[in-house]
Order: sequence, then structure tokens, then C-alpha cells
Amino acid sequence: MKIKSSTLAIILAGGRVGELNVLTAYRPKSAVPFGGFARVIDFSLSNLMHSGLERVAILSQYRSYSLINHIGIGAAWDMLGRNRGVSILPPFQGASHASWYRGTADAVFQNLDFIEYHTPETVLILSGDHVYNMNYRDIIRYHREKDADLTMACIEVPLSTAHRFGVADIDNEDGELGGRVIQYREKPKRPKFSWASLTVYCFKPKALFEVLAANNQEDDSYEFGRDIIPRMMSDNRKVYGYKFKGYWGYTRTIEEYWQTSMDLLGPDPKIRLEEWGLRTNLDHRGLCDCQPLKVGSNASIQDSLVYNGCTVEGTVEHSIIFPGVQVKKGATVKDSVLFFNNTVETGASINRVVSDVNVRFGAGAQVGAKEEGPEPEITVVGWNNTIPDGAIIGGDCTIYPNLKPAKLIREIKSGEIIR
Amino acid sequence: MMISDNPLVLILAGGVGSRLNILVQTRAKPAVPFAGIYRFIDFSLSNVMNSGFTQVGVLTQYKPLSLMRHIGTGEAWDFTGKSRGVKILPPRTGSKDSDWYKGTADAIRQNLDFIQAHPSRELLILSGDHIYKMDFDAMIDYHRRKKADVTIGMMVVPTSEIHQFGAGITDADGRIIEWEEKPKVARTNLASMGIYVFSTEYLMNILAEEREATDFGKHIIPRAIANDNRVYAYPFLGYWRDVGTIQAYWEANMDLIRADTGLTPESWGIRPNLAADGRLADRPPARFLNGCRVSNSMISAGCIIEGEVVNSVLSPGVRIAAGATVRDSIILADCVIEKGSVIDLAILDKRVHVGCNVVVGAGSGKNIPNRKYPKHLYTGITLVGKDSVIPSDTRIGRNCIVAPWRKPADFSGSCLADGETV
Repeated sequence: MKIKSSTLAIILAGGRVGELNVLTAYRPKSAVPFGGFARVIDFSLSNLMHSGLERVAILSQYRSYSLINHIGIGAAWDMLGRNRGVSILPPFQGASHASWYRGTADAVFQNLDFIEYHTPETVLILSGDHVYNMNYRDIIRYHREKDADLTMACIEVPLSTAHRFGVADIDNEDGELGGRVIQYREKPKRPKFSWASLTVYCFKPKALFEVLAANNQEDDSYEFGRDIIPRMMSDNRKVYGYKFKGYWGYTRTIEEYWQTSMDLLGPDPKIRLEEWGLRTNLDHRGLCDCQPLKVGSNASIQDSLVYNGCTVEGTVEHSIIFPGVQVKKGATVKDSVLFFNNTVETGASINRVVSDVNVRFGAGAQVGAKEEGPEPEITVVGWNNTIPDGAIIGGDCTIYPNLKPAKLIREIKSGEIIR
Repeated sequence: MMISDNPLVLILAGGVGSRLNILVQTRAKPAVPFAGIYRFIDFSLSNVMNSGFTQVGVLTQYKPLSLMRHIGTGEAWDFTGKSRGVKILPPRTGSKDSDWYKGTADAIRQNLDFIQAHPSRELLILSGDHIYKMDFDAMIDYHRRKKADVTIGMMVVPTSEIHQFGAGITDADGRIIEWEEKPKVARTNLASMGIYVFSTEYLMNILAEEREATDFGKHIIPRAIANDNRVYAYPFLGYWRDVGTIQAYWEANMDLIRADTGLTPESWGIRPNLAADGRLADRPPARFLNGCRVSNSMISAGCIIEGEVVNSVLSPGVRIAAGATVRDSIILADCVIEKGSVIDLAILDKRVHVGCNVVVGAGSGKNIPNRKYPKHLYTGITLVGKDSVIPSDTRIGRNCIVAPWRKPADFSGSCLADGETV
């Protein structure tokens, strides 16, 4: 009999990443739009829903309005019911203390009462800013079979990039499935092993409580990757690695965000939206009220994703187009991601651009890298901007949100930052 | 009980709409899908919502299941809340008045209890199968300003079409002084849109007095003009279409993609109810692959286009394989068109599977009407019913009908001549 889920899921959604600067000026990274209609956190939420885990807490601190709005009552992920629900847990003041979340581990530590109240058998901790499709039931099953204190999902990465991750050395106890973690290093300068942690952690609650409490007393850094896992290793606790074989997309920098977006495209896309069953909250931004896409007589759309609510009269190639975007006659959009309600006026040409909500590209404007070099050289435009008619903006530029028209001069050279 | 300043809204959604043929074989006419993601009744419900009205009864009778599921709690049109609601009103049996609805006025008469339970100054009576945008609040103002008993939404139509409508002759003040129901000879071009405002008390009295009256256009309106002479025409300008025939349904869909027809559901504030249709809601963006060609079309989320789509309207989840062509057609949700097939001037209901190298709408016999339903199909449009599977290499002519749930074995040969039916 399964009346109540024995797993409590916690999504770490509080952070803001410096490198995504313009896109996270007004929203946490987990609420960054992705895939032409959704938000990055929808991948974790949809995975939870498809895994039958419907008791979820979201730890949120940075500019959480957009995220709270997006989660709504949780009905979009079927997380509304007697034993189903999404709780957003912001930082709070208590009788004895008041502090912002000082890190991911501190955020969880400050909400221990919430976890204890739900008396879970397993606590599943996830990051809200990854793009992947995973059935968490598999890792939870493995975690329980091994009676582990911690089981973390890992993916094999080339040694040359392993320095950017927390990496584990996993023994061969269960071959392809996983094994005991023998060593763990957080972002090592010279990595010697290549199983990168995906920030998908299954904890035995008792072990989690003990380690968090010890860390809070003895340390002044409060991160799972940097502090908690090394502490579990040095305490000689039972830490297992679960080997994940599927696609994993990062969105930590503009280049990563762009590359992960491009993985949605092509004849055999790495991110299989149709099969993964990605769900989003259609009430957010009125997605459900958009009429179908209108394609004009002389339009051309190739290798692209376009959601309802758009009008395309020009050319769209290898791009992701969110609702409310208008591409006028003679305009060209290539290798780009345009968030909600962008307008690309007649004759404008956009190449390798990620553009936030409510941007107007004036008639004949040329924005983004001219030539396709080895580096993507993405130009990123913050929200609520009007690029003047005939403007020329190079590659690798950053345009801050909400700029006064005087700031947006007609020529901006490659690599410039306009704020 | 307090009398609401808002009118009570009653939407007539019970008609069979048989001229829509296979599209209404399994659903009520107001539930027929339209413009990719909408159903007919979304237009009336959204207009009511945007007019600020809050109490709605939907009178159903014929195959109401998909309509009931679609309306749900009414949340999509903001009809949930303490003082808000949308109720389905099916025919009932009781100690008396136990019968099916015999006509528009009879349907209202059988729901007097609902009307009394929601006291109102006026009743706004609408049809559930018209495509239009209208501000009913302004119409209520007009009704009150004129101190009318009845106000009828009316618009100018070509005199050649007036025989399909209730026709009114008005004086300089907008008062209707003469009424003809579906006149053979045109004396006016002012046609009733089937949108009525009645002073509630007035309608209650006339329904009680005229026990035999079952229809608004035939009985109630002529009686009201003759007896009391306070019937007014409320002039409507703008897009309006009764989508009661296959031809009108096709034209209305085409109006979405023709230039400057004025039919723009999103900017009109029309809301669909994707959540009620479950599978329609959770769709990723439409995917366009390399080599596809799409022009002058409306494409819903969840479509995957590799082939060619011209002058067509596609509902969610339609797949057009490479080398397939869809032209001048309406394709409802989750149809699959395989390689090399051509769909020309056709309407495909949900989940039709078209094999390879099929032609639907072949040849030039557009003027050979359907043999079984010559009055439904005579302009060249071919219909395919839901869940049908058309085997590869089949050639289907013009004005043909493939009934719902046909399997490859139901096709006797690889050719279906113009005007034939499977």
C-alpha cells in the first residue's frame, strides 16, 4: 500500500550564477526560460512527477518572485492533493536566529524541522538548474539496496573538463550500475578520476542531519559539494555513486546555456522534449491563452522550435522561439534563442544571440557575431531593451537589462559590455 | 435574494448540427475543434468572461460528454469563485415538463428553476457555435437605454444569404417593426445573429402565456413584436460566422490565415481550455526540421513538420513526414501524414493516420457532390473521420467521406471515386 511517498524531494533553486548575469538579473537561474516554452526547473519537476515523487520542497532565496509565480500551486506537475504538494521555503527569521541561506547546505539545515515533520525514509536533494531526464526511482532503489548514507548520481566526463565539477572515484562493486565512492574531490586542479557529480543526492535522513549539524558547528562554508560530501568521506560514511548514462545539460554560463539550447535541435536531438514529457505551468505568462503560431506566405523556418503565440513572416533558422515573438518580413534569426515577446523588425538580422523578454530589434539592425568562429561568441541582450533601427552590434557582447535609449548607440563592437 | 446587476447568461449548446457531418458524429457542435486549439464554444464563453458576466448556464442535449469535459469547472474562463459559476443544464425528467428540449424557447422554459435561482434583470441568450467577438456589456447598456423588452444582436449580410436567418425591418430608432423567419424573398439585409437580451420578467411572462411556443425566431420574437412592440435591434459590426456547415467551417478556418479578415482569437481575448483536453496541454513547441516548407499556415504546439504545409491549419501534435504535402486543409490533433502523401482540400479529424503515397483530395471532380450527403459536401472538400487509418497508396477523390474508425480492411480498393463514402 502506497498512501504516502516515503521520499521527500528538495530542490535547490536559490542561487544566482554570475556568468549568466544578464539572464539572472531579475530571476534565479532555475527560473531562466528554456526550450521555447518552459523554465530550467521544469526538468527537475517533470522528472519528479514522472518518478511518482510528489512531495517537494523548493529552497529559494534570490529574486524568487518569478519562481514562485512559476510554481503556482504545483498543479502543472500534478503536485496538488492530500499527500502531494510543492512548498516553497524562503529564508526566515526565527526567535534565536535570522539569516539568509549561506549556502546550499545551510539552506537545508535551516529547514530541518520541515524535513523531520514529513518523516521521510529518503531525502532526495536536487539542483534546479540542470537539463536532463532521469527516473529517480532507480537511484532511490539502489540507495536503499546499498543501505547507503549518501548515494550521488554521477556522469562520466572527459578528464580534461573534470576540473569544473565535483568528481568521484567509484569502485566496481556493481559494475555499470554504480559502486562505492572511494575518493571525492570538489573542482580539483588536476583531476585523476572522471565521474562528475550531478547534484542528485539521496540521503539517509539521520546521516544528513548529523553531518549538517557538525558542519554548521565546525565550518564557515556551507556547500554540499565543497563541504558536506568531503565531510561524509572523511567520516568514512557509506557513500555510493550511481552511474547515470543519459544526456546532461548545464546552464551555468551563457555559452553553456546556448549550447544546451542548441541540443534541442537537429534531426536527432539530444534533448528529446517529445519523449521526456516536459511539463510547464501554462498559466505562467498566459501560455495557455496563446493562439497557434502564424506562419506568413514568404516565411522560412528550418531546424527550429517555435511555440504558440508567435508570428513568423521572415526567416528562422536553427533557433528557439518563445511565445509572443514576432519575426517580421525580411528579418533573419539564426542560431539564436529569443525569449517571450521579442520583436524582430523588418530586415533585422540576428545571429547567435540570446535575448531576454521584451526586446525589440529595430529595422535593419544587425546583432551578433558576423562569422562563425570556433567559439560561439554569444551576444546576450537583457530584458526590456530597444535596439535602434540600423544598429550594428557585434558578437560576444553583453547588453544589460532596461537600458535608456541613449546607452544603446548604433554601433557596439564585439566583446563590449553595455550597462 | 439580491437581484444581480449582471445578466444571467444561457448558452444554447444542444443542437445536433448534423450538417457538420462526421465532425459531430461523436461530439456536440459547440465542442467541435477550431483554429488549432479552440472549440466553438470558447468564443461565446470568452466573450461572456470579457464582458464581465459571472453566471452561465450551458443547455446541452446532444452528445454532451466532450462538451462537459471541455467546460469542466469553468476555471479557464474565470467562472470559479463564490459569485461565479458555469453549470451544465441537460434535459431532465420530472413530475411535469419531462421531455427533451423541443426548441430554443422550450429549452429555456424547462430551466425556469435555474433562472429563478439566479435572480437577474436580464437574460443574455447565446448560441454556442458562432465565431465572433462581442462586448455584451455594451449590448445590455443599449437594452436598458432603449427600455426594451427584447434586444436582438443583428448584422448586415448579403441579401442573397438572408434566407438562412431571422430578418428584421427596423425604424429609425432601431426598433424592429417587422420580423420574418428565414424569408424566401429578401426585404432587408439585417439578419439575427441568434443573440438575445430579454428582460427576465418579460420572458418569464411570455413563456408562461404562450405554452405552445418552442422557438425564439419562429414564435417568441414575432409575438413580442406584435403584442408589445419593444423589440430592438442591436447593430453588430465586425467578424461573425455561424460555422454550421462544412463549407462555413472550412472558410472560417481559412479566415485565420487570410490577410485582414479580422479573425484573431488571441487578440480578441478568446481562451481555450487546454487543461481539460489533457493531452493537448503538455506539448513542446512546434518542431520544424531542415527541408520543411511552411507558408501561410497556422501551426499548433507539438507539431513536427518535415514536409510541406501550405494554406492550412494544424492542431497540436500533427506530424507531416518528409515529402508529404498538406494544402488548403484542416488537420486536427495528432494526425500523422506519412511520406509522399498529399492532402488537398480536406478536413481530417483527430488521430487520423495517413499511410505513404496516399492522395486525399485527388483529381478535378470538385463539382461532383457526395452521393450520400450532397447538401453537406459539394465544393470539393473531403472529410476523414477520427481514428481512421488510410492504407498506403490509396487515392481518395473530392467530396468523399471516410467515416470514423475505418481500418485498412474497410477500403475495398486503392481508389475512392469523387463523392463516394467509406
